[in-house]
Amino acid sequence: MAGQSVRLANKRYRRDFALTMVVYVVAVIGGAFFLKTFDTPPVWVSALVALASSIPVIFVFVLMGRLLRETDEYTRLRQTEVLLLAGGITLSLCVTWGFLEMAEIVPHITSFWAGPLFFFLMGMVQLGRSLVEKKEIET
Amino acid sequence: MKLLRAERGLSQAKLAELLDVSRQSVIAIETGKYDPSLPLAFKIARVFETSIEKIFEDTENASEAAE
Repeated sequence: MAGQSVRLANKRYRRDFALTMVVYVVAVIGGAFFLKTFDTPPVWVSALVALASSIPVIFVFVLMGRLLRETDEYTRLRQTEVLLLAGGITLSLCVTWGFLEMAEIVPHITSFWAGPLFFFLMGMVQLGRSLVEKKEIET
Repeated sequence: MKLLRAERGLSQAKLAELLDVSRQSVIAIETGKYDPSLPLAFKIARVFETSIEKIFEDTENASEAAE
């Protein structure tokens, strides 16, 4: 039972995040099926399908920004740390991989994977934290 | 803060509700993992009807004085 506005902010974030993910899944799966209806899809159609899939992902960052503004100061600090940690590790790995790729030491990986890696790391950081905090919560 | 909360029979969840923060925030403040901002510290003081100094110790100043 958190404070009213903080609770509402978290609820709003979870609801909108779930809706955005539904849109994302529909865009990815629907887009793939739609492209299959063409022998060779025109470039603009492929571009449209690609953008339709990426827009929900971009919107997740808008939701995160809104949550940071609306939540309490401690949660804001924690979320910022999670974002920094996940973002920092993701970009470090991408930059390192990119240089190794340019030196022809490692194979090419599409930049798309930076997104899933970032969200996976965010989840891992939050999971690790919640496990630690669980021990501290009074019974 | 934990003592004051216990004296008033408030749960962490209830205090979080009164302060309009998450329960994790209350836990973090009570365990000394997080120092609240001045506005939140004033809010806490208002809830407990006391002064900030009676809730939070100036640990930095206290350790300097001890030296």
